[in-house]
Amino acid sequence: MKTLTTLLTGAALAATLSTAYAEEIVVGGKNFTEQQILANMTGQYLESLGYDVEERSGMGSAVLRQAQENGQIDLYWEYTGTSLINYNDVSERLSPEETYSRVKELDAKKGLVWLVPSAANNTYALAMRESDAQERGIASLSDLAQAVNDDKGLTFALNAEFYARDDGWRPLQKAYDFRVGRADVKRMDSGLVYQALRDGQVDVGLVFATDGRIPAFDFTVLKDDKGYFPAYALTPVVREESLKANPELEAQMNALSAELNDDTMASLNAQVDVERKSVEQVAEDFLKEHGLK
Amino acid sequence: MPTLKFTGVLRLVAVIAIFMAGVWSQSTGVIEEFMFYLPDIQFLTVQHLWLTALSGGLAIVVAIPLGIVLSRPSMTRYAESAMQVLNVGTTIPTLAVLALSMSFLGIGTVPAVFGLFVATLLPITRNTYVGLKGVSPALKEAASGIGMSPFQRLVRVELPNALYVMFAGIRTALAINVGTVPLAFLIGAGGLGELIFTGIDLYDPVMMLSGAIPTTLLAVGVDVLVAFVAFIVVPRGVNPARA
Repeated sequence: MKTLTTLLTGAALAATLSTAYAEEIVVGGKNFTEQQILANMTGQYLESLGYDVEERSGMGSAVLRQAQENGQIDLYWEYTGTSLINYNDVSERLSPEETYSRVKELDAKKGLVWLVPSAANNTYALAMRESDAQERGIASLSDLAQAVNDDKGLTFALNAEFYARDDGWRPLQKAYDFRVGRADVKRMDSGLVYQALRDGQVDVGLVFATDGRIPAFDFTVLKDDKGYFPAYALTPVVREESLKANPELEAQMNALSAELNDDTMASLNAQVDVERKSVEQVAEDFLKEHGLK
Repeated sequence: MPTLKFTGVLRLVAVIAIFMAGVWSQSTGVIEEFMFYLPDIQFLTVQHLWLTALSGGLAIVVAIPLGIVLSRPSMTRYAESAMQVLNVGTTIPTLAVLALSMSFLGIGTVPAVFGLFVATLLPITRNTYVGLKGVSPALKEAASGIGMSPFQRLVRVELPNALYVMFAGIRTALAINVGTVPLAFLIGAGGLGELIFTGIDLYDPVMMLSGAIPTTLLAVGVDVLVAFVAFIVVPRGVNPARA
């Protein structure tokens, strides 16, 4: 009996020790399709390279960033403008390159490393049904502001995060000088906005520029003619400690980043949202196609 | 009376604690932060109560007749299986019900009201049925014995005697309803869930609590309100609260 206990204790101890020594990388993701694809793709990619990966997606930006600063998340894909304005409170307008170098510098102080940015720029945008936009003669955000101020009774669908962000709803109204009444703004999950706009429940919806549903649902994206939105270059951001612990990780993530651009992201997003394929399947197909798995 | 003294001390401690909480919140500016969301809270509370009133009202109107019908002797054969179905319905998580209703009703108020209606319907129906079945056979026999028609018996004897149990069902159902409405935000129907989920997304505890605290107060408030109505409506002779 005693030997058995010893054996069991030994086995348990060995198990805990071995897990403690395994290099685990925690990959994070936000709460919309593109981020779920990226988190899953990164997970599959790193697993095939022999890492032990844990995937945690579905968080709001602020929560995810907090988790990374606390060391609960090792790496996730962030957008340059989001970090610039929301996490570093920089309000000046910078070019895409300046934006990148500024966040790289500022976040380095917090132990976060911005790797090589991809060519995908997933900016926020406001979209309308194409026919509706033509009918109303709205092509840009200035036209939209004019229509709101003329009391055309436009209704809006926004996601929860945008409504309260520093590069979000309130400053946008300030920049274009219009005010939408509280009752005309409906907030919902990011993914529902497209459905609400398509079904005519609202007139204007907040979209992500790389979302595949924009062409699929015949939306037209309103031009940001005053350049309100910053650059949102999609970039892998990794904790410095994780890079130190895994010397090859940086080059490996840059290889993946190099494969992504606006068109690839739009097509990946569309495969999930329009063609209804599973996130895992879409991520796997992409990796195989590009010889990364 | 040592117990009395003790409650007196407790009360004093509570008053001091509340006072200190007030001082603390004043000094940290939490109150101002909450005030920032006041217009949102007002707007969303109205939306929230509207969703509850619509779905709860519909549920009461449908559930009570349904419960009555199921409790009739002629329905005994089907009642048990119907109750089983309703029981299964109760165990389905409300979020799943909302997701299902979204898949065939689209997004917004309509599917949210429908989902909440289904979730609220079941406890009320069940309590109506159980309450009516629980009326003592002796009373029912006496009612028939003095020459009441089945309808008279239902209205004058069975319903008054079952009323207390029925109200208990309505109370539970509505309190759960108010607490579930925040999920309706996820299918685009607004309500206080907007503040809760946005607060979670943005890691903003004050925003989250601006939604959570009013939701809690509403749930308790609705519960107290229905309890008060029950106290008034249920006749003295069959009301345990007024016996």
